[in-house]
Amino acid sequence: MKNVLIAIIGVLLVMSLASVALAGGGGPPEGVKTGVFTAVNPKDNTGVFKESGHEETVVLRFSESIDVESIALDKKMMISLGKVDGHEVIQEASRMFIGMKVEKILALLLIGLIGGLLSGFIGSGGAFVLTPSMMSLGVPGAVAVASNMCHKFPKAMVGAYKRFRYGQVDLKLGVTMAVSAIIGVQIGVQIQKWILHNWGNAGSNLYVSFVFVAVLVIVGGYVFYDAWKLSKGGDETKIPKLALALQKVKIPPMMHFKTAGVTMSAWVTLPIGLATGMLAATIAVGGFIGVPGMIYVVGASAIVASATELVVAFIMGFWGSIQWGISGLIDIRLTLLILAGSLFGVQLGALGTTYVKDYTVKIVMGAVMLIVAVSRGAKVPIYLADLGFMEVNANMGRVLNSISFWALVAALGTAGFIIAGAMIKGMMQAKAEESQALKEDAVRNG
Amino acid sequence: MKMETHKKKPYMKAAIFGVISIASYVILFQNVGLVMEHFTRGGLYAALPVGSVFYFSFLHGAFASNVLEVIGLQAKKKR
Repeated sequence: MKNVLIAIIGVLLVMSLASVALAGGGGPPEGVKTGVFTAVNPKDNTGVFKESGHEETVVLRFSESIDVESIALDKKMMISLGKVDGHEVIQEASRMFIGMKVEKILALLLIGLIGGLLSGFIGSGGAFVLTPSMMSLGVPGAVAVASNMCHKFPKAMVGAYKRFRYGQVDLKLGVTMAVSAIIGVQIGVQIQKWILHNWGNAGSNLYVSFVFVAVLVIVGGYVFYDAWKLSKGGDETKIPKLALALQKVKIPPMMHFKTAGVTMSAWVTLPIGLATGMLAATIAVGGFIGVPGMIYVVGASAIVASATELVVAFIMGFWGSIQWGISGLIDIRLTLLILAGSLFGVQLGALGTTYVKDYTVKIVMGAVMLIVAVSRGAKVPIYLADLGFMEVNANMGRVLNSISFWALVAALGTAGFIIAGAMIKGMMQAKAEESQALKEDAVRNG
Repeated sequence: MKMETHKKKPYMKAAIFGVISIASYVILFQNVGLVMEHFTRGGLYAALPVGSVFYFSFLHGAFASNVLEVIGLQAKKKR
């Protein structure tokens, strides 16, 4: 155990140093700039822009769709440039770091609490709720992803530590998956940058939403179906057929994962890790492939899979945060406010797993994934319209945005409700068993 | 028959960690302009946001852990 910890710390240190050394390759892609507007001229649709890290200012033209008078001055902005009739034009401009009001602070605390609860319970970072929630508060996508990742790894560390003490974490499996996930992240980041460069923010949002919906519906649907079958009296200890077949693959190196109770070729864990990393890089959610992957492909139980995922989340989150930090995109206010709530939530969720059956974890995971799929799906027509692929009138746009928002609220509410209910039931049962056992002891010694 | 010894609730620990954690939050937010300027400078300054979350996680995590114990919420005991 000590050796594994030393290995983890060693790998993290090397990665951090490598990241700093290779920092030239990081940062926002071409066509996207960060900086400050020192003046704007609504009459000719131009603005004086001072790019971050540069001393001189340039005059840039805004596209017709931007309301020049609403552009904030002397506040850090993120702009997306494109060519129109051979001239470079600002196609999008958003404030990088939103203004803080009391409602936003309270919202972030609450979102953090429930996101953490979910994370501690099902192993998924909660990012799928946190990132869209931050974006609906006005935070640009890249800043939302960066700030969330910076909160994810310490929260995962606390959650993983607690669940390790409950004997649920398979450290070796976690580290193995994390290594291939990191490679997957690199691939995912390149894809993300290419899309942002070629299609701008709207294209990026569309890509993210498509991937979200596809993964959530397919994987979430299956997990939920499996949980439903088990709740009707299926055998929880039965190893899924796919896992059994893959465990027969004997390509070395063979690895034995003690806590998961599985011996498997390292090459089987490779695609799951890669997919987790790619998803994490593109939509900042990795657990939704990682956890079902460990359940259905490796053959671990839902409780071990969700606990082990926290180790993967910690390693990847730490490494990813360094990358984002180097690009100056982490809004520490958002990170710390979410952390304030989620450090409570994650520990609560973690101890909750000791009171429930394995399939309860699957029910929560599946239900949440499906509801969030609806939430993201509702936004797809809007992004398609932004890119000019279809028409969405203002009314329709309002309805879709409403559906998206309330579905997200429903996802959080459902998760909180099921987890709280399962925990209360489990705790009451445990108390009853405890007092029954004490009575029996008393009678025996009577 | 083994008597169940009840652990004392960690009121003191919860209070101490709580005070330090909340004070740290207040200090940070009262100097938010300065903090944001340095924390978003990029490059080696990345150590600032990353390092600070370790600090807050340790303190606030311990605070949360002790509060949960004080409330009486703990993992199921294995008999």
